[in-house]
Amino acid sequence: MTLHKKLEVRGVSKTFTGRKASIAALEGVDMHVDHGELVCLLGASGCGKSTLLSIIGGLEPTTEGEVRIDDELVIGPGADRGMVFQAYSLFPWLSVSRNIEFGLEVARWPKARRRERVDELLGIMSLREFAGSLPRELSGGLRQRVAIARALGPEPDVLLLDEPFGALDAETKRHMQDFLLSVWHRTGTTILMVTHDVEEAIYLSQRIYVLASRPGHVSAVIDVPFGANRGPTVKRDPRFLDLRDELGDLLVS
Amino acid sequence: MVADADASDRAPALRTRGRRPSTLLGIRTELAVRWRIVLGVLGVASVFALWAYAAYRPQAGSSVLVPSPARTWHALSQMWSAGTLRSDLAASAQRVAIGYSISVALGIVLGIAIGSFASVEAFLEPQLGFLRYIPATALTPLFLLWLGIDESPKIWLIAVGTVFYNVLMIADVARNVPREMLNAAYTLGAGRRTILRRVILPHSWPGIIDVARINLAAAWLMLVVAELLAAQKGLAYQINLAQRFRAVDTMFALLIVFGVIGLISDLALRALRNRLAAWARP
Ligand SMILES: Nc1ncnc2c1ncn2[C@@H]1O[C@H](COP(=O)(O)OP(=O)(O)O)[C@@H](O)[C@H]1O
Ligand SMILES: [Mg+2]
Repeated sequence: MTLHKKLEVRGVSKTFTGRKASIAALEGVDMHVDHGELVCLLGASGCGKSTLLSIIGGLEPTTEGEVRIDDELVIGPGADRGMVFQAYSLFPWLSVSRNIEFGLEVARWPKARRRERVDELLGIMSLREFAGSLPRELSGGLRQRVAIARALGPEPDVLLLDEPFGALDAETKRHMQDFLLSVWHRTGTTILMVTHDVEEAIYLSQRIYVLASRPGHVSAVIDVPFGANRGPTVKRDPRFLDLRDELGDLLVS
Repeated sequence: MVADADASDRAPALRTRGRRPSTLLGIRTELAVRWRIVLGVLGVASVFALWAYAAYRPQAGSSVLVPSPARTWHALSQMWSAGTLRSDLAASAQRVAIGYSISVALGIVLGIAIGSFASVEAFLEPQLGFLRYIPATALTPLFLLWLGIDESPKIWLIAVGTVFYNVLMIADVARNVPREMLNAAYTLGAGRRTILRRVILPHSWPGIIDVARINLAAAWLMLVVAELLAAQKGLAYQINLAQRFRAVDTMFALLIVFGVIGLISDLALRALRNRLAAWARP
Protein backbone atom coordinates (compact mmCIF):
# COMPACT_ATOMS: atom_id res chain seq x y z
CA MET A 1 0.00 0.00 0.00
CA THR A 2 1.50 3.33 -1.00
CA LEU A 3 1.01 6.07 1.52
CA HIS A 4 -0.42 9.25 0.18
CA LYS A 5 -1.67 12.41 1.77
CA LYS A 6 -5.31 11.84 2.58
CA LEU A 7 -5.72 15.16 4.32
CA GLU A 8 -3.61 18.24 3.88
CA VAL A 9 -3.78 21.56 5.70
CA ARG A 10 -1.83 24.27 3.91
CA GLY A 11 -0.92 27.57 5.50
CA VAL A 12 -4.20 27.89 7.35
CA SER A 13 -4.78 31.05 9.38
CA LYS A 14 -7.96 32.00 11.13
CA THR A 15 -8.90 35.31 12.69
CA PHE A 16 -12.20 35.83 14.47
CA THR A 17 -13.27 39.42 14.04
CA GLY A 18 -15.29 40.55 16.98
CA ARG A 19 -16.97 43.88 17.58
CA LYS A 20 -14.15 45.30 19.66
CA ALA A 21 -11.10 43.19 18.95
CA SER A 22 -10.17 40.38 16.63
CA ILE A 23 -8.67 37.14 17.87
CA ALA A 24 -5.98 35.39 15.87
CA ALA A 25 -6.88 31.77 16.57
CA LEU A 26 -4.57 30.08 14.06
CA GLU A 27 -1.57 31.23 12.07
CA GLY A 28 0.16 29.42 9.22
CA VAL A 29 -0.77 25.89 10.17
CA ASP A 30 0.62 23.17 7.92
CA MET A 31 -0.08 19.52 8.54
CA HIS A 32 -1.16 16.35 6.86
CA VAL A 33 -2.57 12.91 7.58
CA ASP A 34 -1.67 9.99 5.36
CA HIS A 35 -4.16 7.42 4.16
CA GLY A 36 -5.07 5.07 7.01
CA GLU A 37 -3.09 6.98 9.61
CA LEU A 38 -4.21 7.91 13.10
CA VAL A 39 -2.86 11.35 13.99
CA CYS A 40 -3.42 13.47 17.07
CA LEU A 41 -3.54 17.25 17.46
CA LEU A 42 -2.25 17.98 20.95
CA GLY A 43 -2.49 21.32 22.69
CA ALA A 44 -3.59 23.15 25.79
CA SER A 45 -7.16 24.39 25.89
CA GLY A 46 -7.79 27.56 23.92
CA CYS A 47 -4.93 27.04 21.48
CA GLY A 48 -7.20 26.59 18.47
CA LYS A 49 -7.60 22.80 18.20
CA SER A 50 -11.37 22.88 17.76
CA THR A 51 -11.11 25.76 15.33
CA LEU A 52 -8.67 23.79 13.17
CA LEU A 53 -10.86 20.69 13.26
CA SER A 54 -13.96 22.73 12.33
CA ILE A 55 -12.06 24.21 9.42
CA ILE A 56 -11.09 20.73 8.23
CA GLY A 57 -14.69 19.64 8.67
CA GLY A 58 -15.75 22.58 6.50
CA LEU A 59 -17.86 24.07 9.29
CA GLU A 60 -15.76 27.21 9.51
CA PRO A 61 -14.08 29.12 6.66
CA THR A 62 -10.36 29.88 6.75
CA THR A 63 -9.03 33.41 6.75
CA GLU A 64 -6.03 32.25 4.77
CA GLY A 65 -4.85 28.93 3.41
CA GLU A 66 -6.75 25.83 2.39
CA VAL A 67 -7.63 22.27 3.29
CA ARG A 68 -7.52 19.40 0.83
CA ILE A 69 -8.86 15.88 1.00
CA ASP A 70 -7.38 13.58 -1.64
CA ASP A 71 -6.10 16.74 -3.29
CA GLU A 72 -9.60 18.21 -3.53
CA LEU A 73 -10.34 21.60 -2.02
CA VAL A 74 -12.64 21.64 1.02
CA ILE A 75 -15.30 24.36 0.68
CA GLY A 76 -17.92 23.14 3.15
CA PRO A 77 -19.05 20.25 5.30
CA GLY A 78 -19.72 16.85 3.78
CA ALA A 79 -20.28 13.21 4.65
CA ASP A 80 -16.72 12.41 3.53
CA ARG A 81 -15.47 13.90 6.81
CA GLY A 82 -17.29 12.30 9.71
CA MET A 83 -17.06 14.23 12.92
CA VAL A 84 -17.43 13.41 16.61
CA PHE A 85 -17.86 16.23 19.09
CA GLN A 86 -17.06 16.43 22.77
CA ALA A 87 -20.68 16.03 23.84
CA TYR A 88 -24.33 16.91 23.20
CA SER A 89 -24.41 16.14 19.51
CA LEU A 90 -26.63 13.04 19.40
CA PHE A 91 -30.21 13.67 18.32
CA PRO A 92 -32.10 13.17 21.59
CA TRP A 93 -35.42 12.30 19.90
CA LEU A 94 -33.94 9.40 17.91
CA SER A 95 -33.08 5.97 19.25
CA VAL A 96 -29.50 4.72 19.07
CA SER A 97 -30.07 2.85 15.82
CA ARG A 98 -31.99 5.73 14.26
CA ASN A 99 -29.16 8.08 15.21
CA ILE A 100 -26.72 5.79 13.44
CA GLU A 101 -29.06 5.52 10.46
CA PHE A 102 -29.35 9.31 10.05
CA GLY A 103 -26.34 9.73 7.77
CA LEU A 104 -27.36 6.71 5.71
CA GLU A 105 -30.82 8.16 5.14
CA VAL A 106 -29.32 11.48 4.13
CA ALA A 107 -27.14 9.62 1.63
CA ARG A 108 -30.25 7.81 0.37
CA TRP A 109 -28.98 4.31 0.95
CA PRO A 110 -31.67 1.72 0.18
CA LYS A 111 -33.49 0.44 3.23
CA ALA A 112 -32.04 -3.07 3.22
CA ARG A 113 -28.48 -1.77 3.01
CA ARG A 114 -29.16 0.74 5.79
CA ARG A 115 -30.40 -2.05 8.06
CA GLU A 116 -27.32 -4.10 7.35
CA ARG A 117 -24.94 -1.22 7.95
CA VAL A 118 -26.62 -0.15 11.21
CA ASP A 119 -26.49 -3.73 12.41
CA GLU A 120 -22.83 -3.99 11.47
CA LEU A 121 -21.98 -0.79 13.35
CA LEU A 122 -24.01 -1.83 16.40
CA GLY A 123 -21.86 -4.97 16.39
CA ILE A 124 -18.52 -3.20 15.93
CA MET A 125 -19.38 -0.76 18.70
CA SER A 126 -20.93 -3.38 21.02
CA LEU A 127 -24.15 -1.39 21.10
CA ARG A 128 -26.64 -4.13 20.11
CA GLU A 129 -28.44 -4.21 23.45
CA PHE A 130 -28.94 -0.43 23.34
CA ALA A 131 -30.28 -0.27 19.76
CA GLY A 132 -33.71 0.94 20.90
CA SER A 133 -32.61 3.23 23.73
CA LEU A 134 -32.78 7.01 23.66
CA PRO A 135 -29.47 8.88 24.13
CA ARG A 136 -30.56 10.23 27.51
CA GLU A 137 -30.83 6.69 28.83
CA LEU A 138 -27.15 6.03 28.11
CA SER A 139 -23.98 6.81 30.05
CA GLY A 140 -21.42 9.27 28.67
CA GLY A 141 -19.13 6.52 27.34
CA LEU A 142 -21.97 4.78 25.52
CA ARG A 143 -23.14 8.05 24.02
CA GLN A 144 -19.71 8.71 22.56
CA ARG A 145 -19.71 5.20 21.12
CA VAL A 146 -23.00 5.98 19.40
CA ALA A 147 -21.55 9.26 18.11
CA ILE A 148 -18.57 7.40 16.65
CA ALA A 149 -20.82 4.76 15.10
CA ARG A 150 -23.00 7.48 13.59
CA ALA A 151 -20.00 9.29 12.16
CA LEU A 152 -18.62 6.04 10.69
CA GLY A 153 -22.01 5.17 9.16
CA PRO A 154 -21.68 6.73 5.72
CA GLU A 155 -18.10 5.40 5.42
CA PRO A 156 -16.25 8.72 5.58
CA ASP A 157 -12.76 9.15 4.11
CA VAL A 158 -11.60 10.79 7.31
CA LEU A 159 -12.90 10.63 10.86
CA LEU A 160 -12.41 13.84 12.87
CA LEU A 161 -12.70 13.60 16.65
CA ASP A 162 -12.77 16.66 18.91
CA GLU A 163 -11.77 15.63 22.45
CA PRO A 164 -14.31 12.81 22.28
CA PHE A 165 -13.27 11.33 25.63
CA GLY A 166 -12.61 14.60 27.42
CA ALA A 167 -15.76 14.39 29.54
CA LEU A 168 -15.32 10.74 30.57
CA ASP A 169 -13.91 9.32 33.79
CA ALA A 170 -10.44 7.76 33.63
CA GLU A 171 -11.60 4.14 33.50
CA THR A 172 -14.18 4.69 30.76
CA LYS A 173 -11.66 6.79 28.88
CA ARG A 174 -9.15 3.90 28.83
CA HIS A 175 -11.86 1.58 27.54
CA MET A 176 -12.82 3.98 24.81
CA GLN A 177 -9.23 4.47 23.72
CA ASP A 178 -8.76 0.74 23.21
CA PHE A 179 -12.10 0.72 21.51
CA LEU A 180 -11.08 3.42 19.10
CA LEU A 181 -7.89 1.54 18.27
CA SER A 182 -9.83 -1.64 17.52
CA VAL A 183 -12.30 0.29 15.36
CA TRP A 184 -9.39 1.87 13.52
CA HIS A 185 -7.87 -1.57 12.89
CA ARG A 186 -11.12 -3.05 11.69
CA THR A 187 -12.19 -0.20 9.43
CA GLY A 188 -8.85 1.22 8.29
CA THR A 189 -10.35 4.71 8.43
CA THR A 190 -8.03 7.70 8.44
CA ILE A 191 -8.42 9.38 11.83
CA LEU A 192 -7.50 12.83 13.10
CA MET A 193 -8.14 13.32 16.78
CA VAL A 194 -7.91 16.40 18.96
CA THR A 195 -6.85 16.00 22.57
CA HIS A 196 -5.20 17.85 25.41
CA ASP A 197 -4.19 14.58 27.08
CA VAL A 198 -0.52 13.76 26.44
CA GLU A 199 -0.77 10.05 27.26
CA GLU A 200 -3.84 9.66 25.12
CA ALA A 201 -2.02 11.24 22.18
CA ILE A 202 1.00 8.94 22.53
CA TYR A 203 -1.08 5.84 23.16
CA LEU A 204 -3.30 6.31 20.14
CA SER A 205 -1.44 8.05 17.39
CA GLN A 206 1.31 7.42 14.92
CA ARG A 207 2.15 11.08 14.70
CA ILE A 208 1.46 14.01 16.98
CA TYR A 209 1.15 17.65 16.00
CA VAL A 210 1.74 19.84 19.01
CA LEU A 211 -0.17 23.09 18.84
CA ALA A 212 1.00 26.15 20.75
CA SER A 213 -1.28 29.08 21.36
CA ARG A 214 -1.67 32.78 20.67
CA PRO A 215 -2.03 32.44 17.79
CA GLY A 216 -2.31 28.67 17.36
CA HIS A 217 0.57 27.22 15.39
CA VAL A 218 2.31 23.86 15.07
CA SER A 219 5.23 23.96 17.49
CA ALA A 220 6.44 20.38 17.05
CA VAL A 221 5.75 17.25 15.04
CA ILE A 222 6.52 14.01 16.83
CA ASP A 223 6.61 10.55 15.29
CA VAL A 224 5.46 7.97 17.78
CA PRO A 225 7.85 5.01 17.67
CA PHE A 226 5.29 2.28 18.37
CA GLY A 227 3.68 0.11 15.72
CA ALA A 228 -0.01 0.04 14.99
CA ASN A 229 -0.56 -3.08 17.09
CA ARG A 230 0.27 -1.74 20.50
CA GLY A 231 -1.32 -2.84 23.74
CA PRO A 232 -1.66 -1.13 27.10
CA THR A 233 1.85 -2.43 27.91
CA VAL A 234 3.46 0.34 25.82
CA LYS A 235 2.48 2.70 28.60
CA ARG A 236 5.34 1.17 30.64
CA ASP A 237 7.85 1.35 27.78
CA PRO A 238 10.70 3.76 28.66
CA ARG A 239 10.29 5.49 25.30
CA PHE A 240 6.65 6.14 26.17
CA LEU A 241 7.66 7.73 29.45
CA ASP A 242 10.38 9.84 27.80
CA LEU A 243 7.96 11.01 25.14
CA ARG A 244 5.42 11.83 27.79
CA ASP A 245 7.89 14.04 29.65
CA GLU A 246 9.07 15.68 26.45
CA LEU A 247 5.53 16.50 25.33
CA GLY A 248 4.61 17.64 28.82
CA ASP A 249 7.46 20.16 28.69
CA LEU A 250 6.41 21.29 25.22
CA LEU A 251 2.88 21.95 26.40
CA VAL A 252 4.01 23.98 29.37
CA SER A 253 6.49 26.18 27.52
CA MET B 1 -20.50 5.63 92.30
CA VAL B 2 -24.21 5.02 92.39
CA ALA B 3 -24.94 8.47 91.05
CA ASP B 4 -22.44 7.89 88.21
CA ALA B 5 -24.13 4.65 87.12
CA ASP B 6 -27.43 6.47 87.17
CA ALA B 7 -26.13 9.20 84.86
CA SER B 8 -24.72 6.80 82.29
CA ASP B 9 -28.03 4.91 82.24
CA ARG B 10 -29.87 7.91 80.99
CA ALA B 11 -29.16 8.36 77.29
CA PRO B 12 -27.22 11.59 76.96
CA ALA B 13 -29.13 14.11 74.82
CA LEU B 14 -27.55 14.00 71.35
CA ARG B 15 -26.32 17.39 70.33
CA THR B 16 -27.33 18.48 66.84
CA ARG B 17 -25.65 20.30 64.02
CA GLY B 18 -27.32 22.40 61.37
CA ARG B 19 -30.92 23.44 61.02
CA ARG B 20 -33.68 21.00 60.15
CA PRO B 21 -35.32 22.06 56.86
CA SER B 22 -38.94 23.13 57.08
CA THR B 23 -41.52 20.65 55.79
CA LEU B 24 -43.87 23.14 54.19
CA LEU B 25 -41.80 26.27 53.71
CA GLY B 26 -38.42 24.93 52.63
CA ILE B 27 -37.21 26.86 49.59
CA ARG B 28 -37.29 24.58 46.56
CA THR B 29 -37.82 21.46 48.62
CA GLU B 30 -39.99 18.64 47.36
CA LEU B 31 -43.46 18.49 48.84
CA ALA B 32 -44.93 15.14 49.85
CA VAL B 33 -47.89 14.09 47.70
CA ARG B 34 -50.10 14.04 50.78
CA TRP B 35 -49.33 17.69 51.47
CA ARG B 36 -49.79 18.58 47.84
CA ILE B 37 -53.33 17.23 47.88
CA VAL B 38 -54.20 18.75 51.26
CA LEU B 39 -52.95 22.19 50.21
CA GLY B 40 -54.69 21.98 46.84
CA VAL B 41 -58.01 21.17 48.46
CA LEU B 42 -57.47 23.91 51.04
CA GLY B 43 -56.73 26.40 48.26
CA VAL B 44 -59.94 25.62 46.41
CA ALA B 45 -61.93 25.62 49.64
CA SER B 46 -60.60 29.02 50.65
CA VAL B 47 -61.73 30.49 47.35
CA PHE B 48 -65.22 29.10 47.92
CA ALA B 49 -65.19 30.38 51.47
CA LEU B 50 -64.33 33.89 50.33
CA TRP B 51 -66.95 33.69 47.62
CA ALA B 52 -69.59 32.46 50.05
CA TYR B 53 -68.70 35.18 52.54
CA ALA B 54 -69.03 37.87 49.86
CA ALA B 55 -72.35 36.46 48.69
CA TYR B 56 -73.99 35.84 52.06
CA ARG B 57 -72.66 38.67 54.18
CA PRO B 58 -75.57 40.44 55.86
CA GLN B 59 -74.88 43.95 54.54
CA ALA B 60 -75.17 42.67 50.98
CA GLY B 61 -78.67 44.11 50.94
CA SER B 62 -81.18 43.57 48.24
CA SER B 63 -79.13 44.46 45.17
CA VAL B 64 -77.06 41.37 44.51
CA LEU B 65 -73.51 42.15 43.39
CA VAL B 66 -72.04 38.77 44.19
CA PRO B 67 -74.20 35.72 43.44
CA SER B 68 -74.01 32.74 45.75
CA PRO B 69 -72.33 29.55 44.48
CA ALA B 70 -75.77 27.94 44.43
CA ARG B 71 -77.29 30.67 42.26
CA THR B 72 -74.32 30.57 39.94
CA TRP B 73 -74.70 26.83 39.56
CA HIS B 74 -78.37 27.31 38.88
CA ALA B 75 -77.64 29.88 36.16
CA LEU B 76 -75.10 27.55 34.61
CA SER B 77 -77.45 24.57 34.47
CA GLN B 78 -80.20 26.76 33.07
CA MET B 79 -77.97 27.94 30.24
CA TRP B 80 -76.97 24.37 29.61
CA SER B 81 -80.50 22.99 29.42
CA ALA B 82 -81.68 25.90 27.29
CA GLY B 83 -78.93 25.00 24.82
CA THR B 84 -77.55 28.54 24.68
CA LEU B 85 -74.38 27.62 26.51
CA ARG B 86 -73.59 24.95 23.96
CA SER B 87 -74.08 27.23 20.95
CA ASP B 88 -72.23 30.15 22.56
CA LEU B 89 -69.38 27.88 23.54
CA ALA B 90 -69.25 26.44 20.03
CA ALA B 91 -69.22 29.90 18.45
CA SER B 92 -66.45 31.20 20.70
CA ALA B 93 -64.36 28.04 20.54
CA GLN B 94 -64.58 27.99 16.77
CA ARG B 95 -63.33 31.58 16.51
CA VAL B 96 -60.44 30.88 18.80
CA ALA B 97 -59.62 27.57 17.10
CA ILE B 98 -59.48 29.09 13.61
CA GLY B 99 -57.82 32.37 14.56
CA TYR B 100 -55.28 30.78 16.85
CA SER B 101 -54.47 28.01 14.36
CA ILE B 102 -53.58 30.66 11.79
CA SER B 103 -51.46 32.38 14.39
CA VAL B 104 -49.60 29.24 15.44
CA ALA B 105 -49.05 28.15 11.83
CA LEU B 106 -47.60 31.56 10.96
CA GLY B 107 -45.63 31.48 14.18
CA ILE B 108 -44.03 28.14 13.30
CA VAL B 109 -43.14 29.11 9.73
CA LEU B 110 -41.86 32.62 10.49
CA GLY B 111 -40.39 31.75 13.88
CA ILE B 112 -38.34 28.83 12.55
CA ALA B 113 -37.24 30.92 9.57
CA ILE B 114 -36.16 33.83 11.79
CA GLY B 115 -34.43 31.56 14.28
CA SER B 116 -32.58 29.69 11.55
CA PHE B 117 -31.68 32.28 8.92
CA ALA B 118 -29.93 35.52 9.86
CA SER B 119 -31.10 36.96 6.54
CA VAL B 120 -34.77 36.40 7.31
CA GLU B 121 -34.22 37.81 10.78
CA ALA B 122 -32.58 40.94 9.35
CA PHE B 123 -35.45 41.37 6.90
CA LEU B 124 -38.28 40.94 9.42
CA GLU B 125 -36.78 42.41 12.57
CA PRO B 126 -37.70 46.08 11.93
CA GLN B 127 -41.34 45.32 11.07
CA LEU B 128 -41.79 42.94 13.97
CA GLY B 129 -40.12 45.31 16.39
CA PHE B 130 -42.56 48.03 15.34
CA LEU B 131 -45.75 46.02 15.00
CA ARG B 132 -45.46 44.08 18.25
CA TYR B 133 -45.93 47.28 20.25
CA ILE B 134 -49.18 48.23 18.56
CA PRO B 135 -51.92 46.91 20.88
CA ALA B 136 -53.88 44.54 18.71
CA THR B 137 -57.10 45.66 20.39
CA ALA B 138 -56.52 49.11 18.85
CA LEU B 139 -56.92 47.47 15.45
CA THR B 140 -60.51 46.44 16.14
CA PRO B 141 -62.21 49.45 14.47
CA LEU B 142 -60.02 49.05 11.39
CA PHE B 143 -60.77 45.36 11.16
CA LEU B 144 -64.49 45.96 11.46
CA LEU B 145 -64.21 48.55 8.71
CA TRP B 146 -62.17 46.34 6.41
CA LEU B 147 -63.69 42.94 7.06
CA GLY B 148 -67.33 43.67 7.95
CA ILE B 149 -68.97 42.46 11.13
CA ASP B 150 -69.25 38.73 10.51
CA GLU B 151 -66.76 36.09 11.59
CA SER B 152 -63.63 37.19 9.73
CA PRO B 153 -62.75 40.33 11.73
CA LYS B 154 -63.04 38.33 14.95
CA ILE B 155 -60.87 35.53 13.62
CA TRP B 156 -58.24 37.93 12.30
CA LEU B 157 -58.23 39.91 15.50
CA ILE B 158 -57.40 36.74 17.40
CA ALA B 159 -54.74 35.79 14.85
CA VAL B 160 -53.10 39.21 14.75
CA GLY B 161 -53.36 39.69 18.49
CA THR B 162 -51.30 36.59 19.19
CA VAL B 163 -49.11 36.06 16.14
CA PHE B 164 -46.27 38.35 17.22
CA TYR B 165 -45.83 36.57 20.52
CA ASN B 166 -45.88 33.23 18.74
CA VAL B 167 -43.36 34.27 16.07
CA LEU B 168 -40.88 35.82 18.46
CA MET B 169 -41.08 33.06 21.05
CA ILE B 170 -40.84 30.26 18.46
CA ALA B 171 -37.85 32.03 16.92
CA ASP B 172 -36.19 31.74 20.32
CA VAL B 173 -37.07 28.08 20.48
CA ALA B 174 -35.42 27.51 17.08
CA ARG B 175 -32.34 29.47 18.14
CA ASN B 176 -31.92 27.11 21.06
CA VAL B 177 -31.06 24.11 18.88
CA PRO B 178 -27.45 23.40 19.95
CA ARG B 179 -24.84 24.37 17.38
CA GLU B 180 -23.13 20.97 17.75
CA MET B 181 -26.33 19.18 16.74
CA LEU B 182 -26.49 21.21 13.53
CA ASN B 183 -22.79 20.62 12.90
CA ALA B 184 -23.23 16.88 13.47
CA ALA B 185 -25.98 16.85 10.84
CA TYR B 186 -23.85 18.87 8.40
CA THR B 187 -20.94 16.45 8.75
CA LEU B 188 -23.33 13.57 8.10
CA GLY B 189 -24.01 15.13 4.72
CA ALA B 190 -27.30 16.85 5.51
CA GLY B 191 -28.32 19.92 3.51
CA ARG B 192 -30.39 22.87 4.69
CA ARG B 193 -33.75 21.29 4.00
CA THR B 194 -32.85 18.09 5.83
CA ILE B 195 -31.55 20.06 8.78
CA LEU B 196 -34.71 22.17 9.00
CA ARG B 197 -37.01 19.17 8.69
CA ARG B 198 -35.06 16.57 10.59
CA VAL B 199 -33.09 18.50 13.21
CA ILE B 200 -34.50 21.96 13.90
CA LEU B 201 -38.18 21.05 13.70
CA PRO B 202 -38.06 17.89 15.84
CA HIS B 203 -35.85 19.60 18.39
CA SER B 204 -38.26 22.54 18.52
CA TRP B 205 -41.60 20.67 18.83
CA PRO B 206 -41.78 20.59 22.62
CA GLY B 207 -40.87 24.29 22.78
CA ILE B 208 -43.40 25.17 20.08
CA ILE B 209 -46.19 23.41 21.97
CA ASP B 210 -45.21 25.20 25.17
CA VAL B 211 -45.29 28.55 23.39
CA ALA B 212 -48.71 27.75 21.91
CA ARG B 213 -49.94 26.78 25.37
CA ILE B 214 -48.73 30.00 26.99
CA ASN B 215 -50.11 32.33 24.32
CA LEU B 216 -53.49 30.62 24.13
CA ALA B 217 -54.61 32.86 27.01
CA ALA B 218 -53.99 35.90 24.80
CA ALA B 219 -56.20 34.35 22.12
CA TRP B 220 -59.15 34.21 24.54
CA LEU B 221 -58.44 37.78 25.57
CA MET B 222 -58.72 38.88 21.95
CA LEU B 223 -61.90 36.86 21.57
CA VAL B 224 -63.53 38.80 24.39
CA VAL B 225 -62.64 42.11 22.78
CA ALA B 226 -63.98 40.94 19.43
CA GLU B 227 -67.25 39.65 20.84
CA LEU B 228 -67.90 42.72 22.98
CA LEU B 229 -67.93 44.87 19.86
CA ALA B 230 -69.92 42.98 17.33
CA ALA B 231 -71.44 39.56 17.81
CA GLN B 232 -74.76 37.79 18.11
CA LYS B 233 -73.33 34.73 19.80
CA GLY B 234 -70.47 33.74 21.98
CA LEU B 235 -69.46 33.53 25.63
CA ALA B 236 -68.18 37.11 25.91
CA TYR B 237 -71.23 38.39 24.06
CA GLN B 238 -73.41 36.69 26.65
CA ILE B 239 -71.45 38.23 29.51
CA ASN B 240 -71.96 41.63 27.96
CA LEU B 241 -75.64 40.93 27.50
CA ALA B 242 -75.98 39.78 31.12
CA GLN B 243 -74.78 43.18 32.24
CA ARG B 244 -77.95 44.77 30.87
CA PHE B 245 -80.06 42.57 33.10
CA ARG B 246 -77.65 42.83 36.03
CA ALA B 247 -77.54 39.04 35.89
CA VAL B 248 -74.42 38.58 37.95
CA ASP B 249 -75.11 34.87 38.36
CA THR B 250 -74.91 34.41 34.58
CA MET B 251 -71.72 36.45 34.45
CA PHE B 252 -70.13 34.33 37.15
CA ALA B 253 -71.23 31.13 35.44
CA LEU B 254 -69.65 32.27 32.16
CA LEU B 255 -66.42 33.27 33.87
CA ILE B 256 -66.22 29.80 35.31
CA VAL B 257 -66.76 28.35 31.84
CA PHE B 258 -63.80 30.42 30.56
CA GLY B 259 -61.63 29.12 33.38
CA VAL B 260 -62.59 25.52 32.77
CA ILE B 261 -61.90 25.78 29.03
CA GLY B 262 -58.48 27.23 29.76
CA LEU B 263 -57.69 24.48 32.23
CA ILE B 264 -58.76 21.73 29.82
CA SER B 265 -56.84 23.11 26.84
CA ASP B 266 -53.76 23.56 29.00
CA LEU B 267 -53.91 19.94 30.13
CA ALA B 268 -54.57 18.76 26.58
CA LEU B 269 -51.54 20.63 25.20
CA ARG B 270 -49.37 19.31 28.01
CA ALA B 271 -50.48 15.78 27.18
CA LEU B 272 -49.77 16.39 23.49
CA ARG B 273 -46.28 17.62 24.33
CA ASN B 274 -45.54 14.56 26.41
CA ARG B 275 -46.80 12.23 23.70
CA LEU B 276 -45.09 13.96 20.80
CA ALA B 277 -41.81 14.50 22.60
CA ALA B 278 -41.32 11.85 25.21
CA TRP B 279 -37.58 12.41 24.82
CA ALA B 280 -37.89 15.91 26.24
CA ARG B 281 -39.95 14.96 29.28
CA PRO B 282 -38.18 16.24 32.38
N1 LIG C 1 -16.68 31.57 17.14
C1 LIG C 1 -15.65 32.20 17.75
N2 LIG C 1 -15.63 33.55 17.85
C2 LIG C 1 -14.63 34.19 18.46
N3 LIG C 1 -13.56 33.58 19.00
C3 LIG C 1 -13.50 32.24 18.93
C4 LIG C 1 -14.55 31.48 18.31
N4 LIG C 1 -14.23 30.17 18.40
C5 LIG C 1 -13.04 30.11 19.05
N5 LIG C 1 -12.61 31.36 19.36
C6 LIG C 1 -11.34 31.68 20.03
O1 LIG C 1 -10.30 31.04 19.35
C7 LIG C 1 -9.37 30.49 20.27
C8 LIG C 1 -9.25 29.00 20.05
O2 LIG C 1 -10.42 28.35 20.44
P1 LIG C 1 -10.65 26.79 20.26
O3 LIG C 1 -10.36 26.40 18.86
O4 LIG C 1 -11.99 26.45 20.76
O5 LIG C 1 -9.54 26.19 21.23
P2 LIG C 1 -9.36 24.70 21.79
O6 LIG C 1 -10.33 23.81 21.07
O7 LIG C 1 -7.94 24.37 21.52
O8 LIG C 1 -9.63 24.77 23.24
C9 LIG C 1 -9.86 30.84 21.66
O9 LIG C 1 -9.15 31.97 22.11
C10 LIG C 1 -11.31 31.17 21.46
O10 LIG C 1 -11.71 32.15 22.37
MG1 LIG D 1 -11.89 22.61 21.89
